[in-house]
Amino acid sequence: MTMLNIENLHAEIDGKEILKGLSLTVNAGEVHAIMGPNGAGKSTLGYVLGGRPGYEVTAGSVRFLSSVRAEPVEAHATEGALASGPSTSSGRAGECEWIDLLELAPHERAVAGLFLGFQYPVEIPGVSNVQFLREALNAQRGQRDEKPLSGAEFLKLAREEARKLDMDAEMLKRPVNVGFSGGEKKRNEMVQMGIVDPKFAILDETDSGLDIDALRIVGDGINRIMRAPDKAVLLITHYQRLLDYVKPDFVHVLDGGVITRTGGPELAHELERAGYSQVTA
Amino acid sequence: MSVMELPSTREEAWRWADTAGIAAAAALPQIAGVETDGWFLDLPGARIVVVDGVVDQAVSNLGRVVLRQVDADDHALAARTSGPGWALHLDADAAADPVQIVHVATGAANHLPAEIVLGDNAVAQVVETYIGSGWANRFTRTTLGSAARLMRSVRLVQEAGFTSLREEATLGTGASLITVFLGAGVAGTRIDARIVAGEGAYADYGGALLTAGEQRQECFVRIHHAEPNGQSKQVWRAVAADRSAASLAAAVEVARHAQKTDGEQSLRGLLLQRTATVNLKPELEIFADDVKCAHGATVGELDARALFYMQSRGISPARAQALLTHAFVVDALDRIGDAVVRDAFVADADAWLERAL
Ligand SMILES: Nc1ncnc2c1ncn2[C@@H]1O[C@H](COP(=O)(O)OP(=O)(O)O)[C@@H](O)[C@H]1O
Ligand SMILES: [Mg+2]
Repeated sequence: MTMLNIENLHAEIDGKEILKGLSLTVNAGEVHAIMGPNGAGKSTLGYVLGGRPGYEVTAGSVRFLSSVRAEPVEAHATEGALASGPSTSSGRAGECEWIDLLELAPHERAVAGLFLGFQYPVEIPGVSNVQFLREALNAQRGQRDEKPLSGAEFLKLAREEARKLDMDAEMLKRPVNVGFSGGEKKRNEMVQMGIVDPKFAILDETDSGLDIDALRIVGDGINRIMRAPDKAVLLITHYQRLLDYVKPDFVHVLDGGVITRTGGPELAHELERAGYSQVTA
Repeated sequence: MSVMELPSTREEAWRWADTAGIAAAAALPQIAGVETDGWFLDLPGARIVVVDGVVDQAVSNLGRVVLRQVDADDHALAARTSGPGWALHLDADAAADPVQIVHVATGAANHLPAEIVLGDNAVAQVVETYIGSGWANRFTRTTLGSAARLMRSVRLVQEAGFTSLREEATLGTGASLITVFLGAGVAGTRIDARIVAGEGAYADYGGALLTAGEQRQECFVRIHHAEPNGQSKQVWRAVAADRSAASLAAAVEVARHAQKTDGEQSLRGLLLQRTATVNLKPELEIFADDVKCAHGATVGELDARALFYMQSRGISPARAQALLTHAFVVDALDRIGDAVVRDAFVADADAWLERAL
């Protein structure tokens, strides 16, 4: 079952084209690694999928199997494959539905089950982690017609997730990411992911800034939270080392705004040995 | 004195003042009485209702407050208040229960002077709330004895018109004055203050001015360190929406022999729309050589990266804006020591945000 289908995606920032016809299909249950040199457009892909303002899609489509029911996507005249492809839900609550991801506002994408783990998590002075995450979770639950969690229920859940990711529970009380080290910020991203429990995660260099113990803890966390038959992960990374913990089903090389090569886990080792220029030449 | 004799905005101190707004407020029609009960907080002590500048003794519990003649100084607005006013005089070492005053304006202009005099080591708390419609013009003279402590919290939440406050404070050796304002109504406001801090005195004077529509609010504050070892802190936050304007002018003056003065100013403005205006004027006038004065002044919009980060977690744009703006404003309100008062002020600020965002 396909969860994410990107066709010929073109996107620009400030009039400069960064993604130049990127296509990618991710099925439920899969982990796809995206590797590539600096400036290749990896973060741009994440931001475009997350809906960051300023990232303008000029062509192509992104279809997403939403975990909440939404208005069915109109079939585009130019697309054949998916318009008649996966059938829309039969109407029972809790079923999935195909949506045009690019039509949704960022917060609606989150409600639809998308999670973006940031390469550079943002500091928010004056807003505590607990408050931020409880707002986030309850906003998502509200949109899905689920009951909001009480303060006590939420704290229990948050403490549990923090413990599993070896993050000091005290950090939940601190302002979001303020004064956190690079590694703590990445761990906090994973705590957030554990709490909102998304269907589809895009993790942008979640491994950078982590020492070897933290890498294992975060890797275990990704597997625990996201390795499921009805979930999928797009793992953006520079290094193969995270892939020792989170075994990818596919490895793609993103270079110059397009996918230049796709292979199995062995491709990551090959890239590590020979470098991008050799492998994609 | 007629309303037309207001100061000219050509004078530096009145540069951002909305004198036309004051004149318009003074001409507002009579409105029916305004409910005051809901504005008193759950605190012990005096509860005073002032209607159009006159203490309504029938519904007030004056506590240790007395009614008496107060002569204001010759400040352009304050001068009009001279006459019968209220006064809180505490002897040395006395500690009074909180004093709450709700000022109701029901149209046109009203004036009232006040005097707070605390003896050495005396402690007091005063909470004031301005509601209704019209021009409420006030003068408050505060004199703190050695090591006396006063916590004042002032809410400006009139629905229409103008509230102008002239404040004069003299702080004795080691005295502490904390004053926090919240402007979260619809009326225009001007807070005009001069504080003279004695040896080792602490003056914390600041607040949050939230403006929307065509509203204009401003503060014009000068803290004068006359003696050594004083400390002052001015934390002001302005949030401006629509075509409104908020202006923050805050000055620290350090006299020649006021060595070891520590003066801190933090003036920050947040524009919710680009049609709004925030004016900032931090000023340092230092004649001593061994002082520490830090000041920061910035105007900006909400952090776009933080907004996207929050939305990427499922928080709606309006809610994300509210959370960030709340955090911005709370910086200035956090300084209110009493939790009951602080919570009430924060709730009023949140209610304002709810309407503006
Ligand atoms: N805000 C921006 N404005 C202009 N160009 C940008 C901006 N952000 C990224 N870019 C450019 O887009 C390209 C891709 O960047 P990015 O997606 O961050 O690459 P990667 O994550 O693969 O290192 C780079 O050339 C970068 O300079
Ligand atoms: Mg990147």
